[in-house]
Amino acid sequence: MLNISTSHRTMEYEKCHLFHPDASRPAKRRRIHPRGLHASWPIRRHAYREAWRAHHDQITSTLNHINSATVSDISQFLLEAHQLSHHSRIPTCLVLGGPHATLQNQITQQLAKLDSRHGPRLFASLSPASSTNLKATLKNLIQSATARVDGIQDEDDELATTQTKGRKLLNYDLQILADFAHERNVGQVVVAFEGTEAFDSALLSELIEILASWRDRIPFVCLFNVATSVDFLQQRLSTAAVKCLDGRLFDVAPSAEVVEQVFSIVTDPSSLLWLGPNLAGMTLERQSDYIQSIDTLVDAVQYAYMSCYYANALSIFLIPNITIKTIPTDHFQALRTLKSFRNHAQEMLQDQQTEQLRNLLDSDEALLSFAQQKIDEGRQNLVQMMIAIDVIRTIQTSLPNVTASSRSNLYVQAMAGTLDESALLRSLLLSVRKAPSDTSIALMRSLVNLNIPKTRLTECKTITTELEQLLQDQTPGAQPLRSADDVKNSTLRTTVVAQKVELSKQKSSLSKQDAAYTALLRRLSDLLERYFDETFIPISQLPFHEIFIYDSKSPHREVLTPRPRHAIERALATPHDYLDCDCCAPDQTNDAALSATQPATAVLYQLYLESGNLINACDLWLAFSAVMGEELEEEMRMALFQRGLAELRFLGLVKGTRKRVDHIAKVAWKGL
Amino acid sequence: MHTRRKASEAFENEEVLTPHRSKRVQLDINNDDDTILAVPSPSLAADSPSKRKSILRAPGTPSKFNGVIGLDGEATPKSLRKVLFSTPTGKRGVLDKPDLVPDDQGTPVADRNDRSARKKSRQALRIQPLMDEESDGDDAVDEAIAREILEDEEVSDSQDETAADTIEVAAAPDTPSKAPRARGRPKGSKNRARTPTPPPEDLPPHELFFFQNRPGTNKTSAHTLPPNALLNHETYFSKIQECLDGHAEDAERLTRIHARGFEQWAFELDEGFNICLYGYGSKRELALSFAEYLHTQGDESKNAAPKIVVVNGYAPGLTLRDILTTLATAALPKNVPLPAQPAAISELVLSVLTVKPPAQPIYLFINSLDHVSLRKPASIALLARLACHHSISLVATCDSPSFPLLFSTSLAQQFRFAYHDATTFAPYTAELEVVEDVNVLLGRSARRLGGKDGVIFVLRSLPENARSLYKLLVEAQLALGDIVPTLGFAFGGANDDDDEDMIGTEDEDAAMNATPSRKPRRGRPAKNQKATLSKKAAASSPPEGVEYRTLYHQAVEQFVCSSEVGFRTLLKEFHDHRMVESRVDATGTERLLVPFAREELEALLEEDGGL
Repeated sequence: MLNISTSHRTMEYEKCHLFHPDASRPAKRRRIHPRGLHASWPIRRHAYREAWRAHHDQITSTLNHINSATVSDISQFLLEAHQLSHHSRIPTCLVLGGPHATLQNQITQQLAKLDSRHGPRLFASLSPASSTNLKATLKNLIQSATARVDGIQDEDDELATTQTKGRKLLNYDLQILADFAHERNVGQVVVAFEGTEAFDSALLSELIEILASWRDRIPFVCLFNVATSVDFLQQRLSTAAVKCLDGRLFDVAPSAEVVEQVFSIVTDPSSLLWLGPNLAGMTLERQSDYIQSIDTLVDAVQYAYMSCYYANALSIFLIPNITIKTIPTDHFQALRTLKSFRNHAQEMLQDQQTEQLRNLLDSDEALLSFAQQKIDEGRQNLVQMMIAIDVIRTIQTSLPNVTASSRSNLYVQAMAGTLDESALLRSLLLSVRKAPSDTSIALMRSLVNLNIPKTRLTECKTITTELEQLLQDQTPGAQPLRSADDVKNSTLRTTVVAQKVELSKQKSSLSKQDAAYTALLRRLSDLLERYFDETFIPISQLPFHEIFIYDSKSPHREVLTPRPRHAIERALATPHDYLDCDCCAPDQTNDAALSATQPATAVLYQLYLESGNLINACDLWLAFSAVMGEELEEEMRMALFQRGLAELRFLGLVKGTRKRVDHIAKVAWKGL
Repeated sequence: MHTRRKASEAFENEEVLTPHRSKRVQLDINNDDDTILAVPSPSLAADSPSKRKSILRAPGTPSKFNGVIGLDGEATPKSLRKVLFSTPTGKRGVLDKPDLVPDDQGTPVADRNDRSARKKSRQALRIQPLMDEESDGDDAVDEAIAREILEDEEVSDSQDETAADTIEVAAAPDTPSKAPRARGRPKGSKNRARTPTPPPEDLPPHELFFFQNRPGTNKTSAHTLPPNALLNHETYFSKIQECLDGHAEDAERLTRIHARGFEQWAFELDEGFNICLYGYGSKRELALSFAEYLHTQGDESKNAAPKIVVVNGYAPGLTLRDILTTLATAALPKNVPLPAQPAAISELVLSVLTVKPPAQPIYLFINSLDHVSLRKPASIALLARLACHHSISLVATCDSPSFPLLFSTSLAQQFRFAYHDATTFAPYTAELEVVEDVNVLLGRSARRLGGKDGVIFVLRSLPENARSLYKLLVEAQLALGDIVPTLGFAFGGANDDDDEDMIGTEDEDAAMNATPSRKPRRGRPAKNQKATLSKKAAASSPPEGVEYRTLYHQAVEQFVCSSEVGFRTLLKEFHDHRMVESRVDATGTERLLVPFAREELEALLEEDGGL
């Protein structure tokens, strides 16, 4: 009775309702005007929109075009399918998407956008989750095909009249779809199977046979999204079903490729904000470790942009051509406290540039232009880094027996500062030294063709021309020049001198030209080494790197990859972590002591943790009651106990058991 | 372990069936002869291992076997306790101590030698009539025995397990080493064998899972909550409202911290993310204050408050249709006819939103998105479809720790959640039906209609004469209850007062409910129930419940019904809702009984009067 009387007031027992602010509460109309660094948020928000929109547009257009070839192929196939007789097999597209086959939706969407010359096209997509049996599947198919009437909306009224005068059909009767298609002069009904592998084989076979039998009345076309292989699909289908299909294969871009493309957009030279190594590493790892669509990556990048512009007030300095009037003064103060700025100030002091430093500390204007200049320089550094990464990849592709590392992978390493002096780089330079002239000339030419603006690699050009001259001197058709550093080109000799074995390397039959070539190669590799050394500088040395490189895992990880189970277990096992109260603070002696001050459910949960997989409710009650102490009267303790038990059940930590009377079963083990 | 325990149980059963029983009972009553007999046996056994084996193997000599344990129990009473409380339940065992320490003084030694709880309770029952004859209804003695039995049951239960262990130790093949050693078992050796290995510390969670789930180690005591221990709705609510939360301030601070994130959340919603709040504690209030925040924000910036739909996923009987129709009222102009199918409504809503996107998105708040009622794949898929529309911003709260498993990759992609840990420590007042949930959890009165409130609820939906009949029945039963005590004194046999009677009936209910291990207070075995029942019926002649005939005649007199068929029809409704139970007493007359305690019956009458 009590519940019902309160429910009218608070709506908490209502199923759904429109929200109206509680009139009884004092109107909270006072809008707190942001103070401090947060005052610049509206400006930053605008800046965020600009910055992200540039990327976003680029990403969407890339994603739209990444499979445009496939989509146009498929649409061509669909057009051809019109010419087939109605008694032929069902034309079928087998789209090989690989394990990350969630792109399917995009292809279907893109297909839906394309016009058809032969009357409107209906799309029905079937998901394995809602296709438990044939009836349900057919029902879904009909609903999904007839529901999407975006293109042909104005005929709604007509539809209603024809349906009312028609026969009453069961909702899984394909006749409904046939009538629908006939009325609208539908050219094709495309049935897309999402995640073909997850369908029950018998169901799938049966469904295909039924579709085939209706093909003379409904122009079906099937679209299978295959993650494994066509052979596997064929094995799973019955012979009769296979005979009904007339398939053609279509490939979509592998997901790793898509990730790289998106990533290269994110690291575009015009980027205002760059992702730091930790964040980028984490995101990319997640993308490759789990089956996820590309949207996850895009979301992650967007969220990084959002957090940076939202939480980092200094991101206001990222705005190109910002004037001093728009920046609140306290932001300059904050800028001066940056660690990288302080380090830089120290350096300036050591260089005796006291006056400039004084100026920077006193004048906001000077600081602004300085910061803008340094941020620009820093970004340029990163752009150079990306170019150096391209250089590495070019070398890798030119050398035989070396697989090219992915751009994103190299980026993470370069940003983290581990690429310079890494094993990868050293072995790469070694192989450059060993390369024969035909490989190296190709390598050098492609390096020159990279057309790196004002880079430190200008010497590369001279080396290339020298090598070309060297090669011209060679007789045509002769063996390519060999490098003296290659072990293959020297023989080991063992000689016994005074009862000692002496190993000596013999440069076997290396010509003068070979020697000259070796010298050239050494020059090249030294040049490259120097170049990498200069380019891959640790990002922490860049002044104001906190502003244009965003590298915080913190909100990112919690927001995109939550650990709710951990959170709940922690809240119950150590409520102090959340409540931060004085009463439940853990002692130094034993860190997790039960005490009556803890919330009742937390006490109960900790008792629960100590017990085995079956718990006697009576014993649990006695223990709980003892922990809570005599200060509370028994009924109160019982009320708390009951609430705690109900909450544990609600959270899915315990369930009832029939094994023993008054026992409950433990369901969740902490920390699993 | 499993088989061993079974063996010991079988052994017990055998014992129970042996014809020795009566003799042994006499022994028990007479005196300690048995123990004297038993004392030398272990030493004998120790002398010659072969003999010992034969003793242990001979199932026909239970007395000796029992003697072995009896002695050990006698010699090292301390160890017994240890075993009792070193069950893996840890602290609890220790806490139980004061209640469980066996009362050695009062129990005859041989009695303790009996390992079977059932047997012992039977003995006690047998003693009871004797006592009754001797002392005229001496309640004190009776109670003392009852208490003893209760306590002993607990002790012996764990001793059962102990006994099982002992058998194993003894039956293990003897070590061939003939090294001379002290007679009998070396002190403490048995202790070592008996103590269950303590759970190794710092087991990783998965190891702990296997440790606790290894077969045969479910050692929990057989205690049951007293029938009246759990509070009913009324007491619960009154108590929980009295209860002061010591952490109210801290929880308040937590909420304030969360509230600081509102601006960020609003930003995330604006950017096309949806928000999912998780963590311990009810997040309903937090979500509502966020809704309020959004409401006021909209006021200022765009001159129109945004439309906010709140769905309570925990509300019983919530359907997708409910959600969609409420959403439709927010999204569509008035008087638009809605199609019947949920899918069709959602299509309509989405297409309208696509064609004419509103200036501000519609905020859809779903409390307890992971609630059972919304867990069907179809429901989640539909909600995800709604959520991925850019004119709908979803703010969902999830309570269960593993809710992300509900969302497949493509669903998660559609939901596009930004998750936030919103641990509030607030009680789940609206989400939970605490009393009912606990009853269901413990397998209690799930079959009965949530007590008095439930009965009143049913009565309200019944016709007038049904209500009058129920009232009649309750009144009759109460009246009967008033007579019973006096009658009882007159007969000199009935010492249960009315209240206890009610409890007794409840226990019998439970026993009938195929839960043999749940023992009624008197602790009699199930198969003897009939006999004791009739005995009891003889002793306290008016049994519980109103006679069917009497009630029928009363009903006819009061014009509640005119024929027996009508009477039956009315009763059937009560039976269906388990508001009444019928049973046949010793004399074969059918009796009707309202299965509630006296106080509840009285409260029922009061409420009923107000109907």
